[in-house]
Amino acid sequence: MADASQLATSLRRGTLEFCVLAMVETEDRYGNELVRRLGGEPGLAAGEGTIYPLLSRLRRSGWLESKWVESPSGPPRRYYGLTPGGRSALDHFRAEWVQFRQTVDRLVGTGEAA
Amino acid sequence: MKTRQNDVVAEYLREVDQRLAGLPVLQRRELLNDLAAHIAAEQSERNLGSEGEVIEVLERLGSPEVVAAAAHEEAGTRFTPPVGPNRSRFWLIFGIVGGVVLVLFLCAFFAFFASSGSSVEGPAAPAVTAPAPSAS
Repeated sequence: MADASQLATSLRRGTLEFCVLAMVETEDRYGNELVRRLGGEPGLAAGEGTIYPLLSRLRRSGWLESKWVESPSGPPRRYYGLTPGGRSALDHFRAEWVQFRQTVDRLVGTGEAA
Repeated sequence: MKTRQNDVVAEYLREVDQRLAGLPVLQRRELLNDLAAHIAAEQSERNLGSEGEVIEVLERLGSPEVVAAAAHEEAGTRFTPPVGPNRSRFWLIFGIVGGVVLVLFLCAFFAFFASSGSSVEGPAAPAVTAPAPSAS
């Protein structure tokens, strides 16, 4: 049981942030939207609250930008959008990921053609 | 009802905050603001009425331990317990008080021993000499 959650944590590390970048690629989204979406996917987030420290780091490293926007109904929302630096990081990840996935699939025997 | 909702939210945020010691102050404030905004948005968008519904929102966020651990991991910091100084102060006071009590105890013990020793010696000396003539 501990090994299973350890594996999920290891796989999440290094990939979750690009899932976040991809979610704001075409349009800005606010925290609750991102968190709700990621929380609905199995094995992606340990708790919805763990996404906020990740968003903070991505913003500080210059891949995301954020702005507080007044909401017509309810409290102000913090919207996140992709910066040019974040876009090139996402493009780079996509190229790396496809190659990485193919290699792992081939070695582990999980690929379609295996 | 509204205040009980806010009670549990304030308590949750305080629990998270306590575990963020060691994190840079602005990141600490940012996370608490983000969590508070998240909870407030859930409350207003989903029109949550009961404390139970707010607790569900908090459960989905994750326990204060899990959220704070993620913050430390992202920031590359470690949790430095804020109770540390209090606890070391407690042990300092405990040590001083314990030392004083021990010294007082030893003083009282020696005073008692010295006084009882002399009082034993007093009557003991005649007691030894007194029976001697009667025995002979």
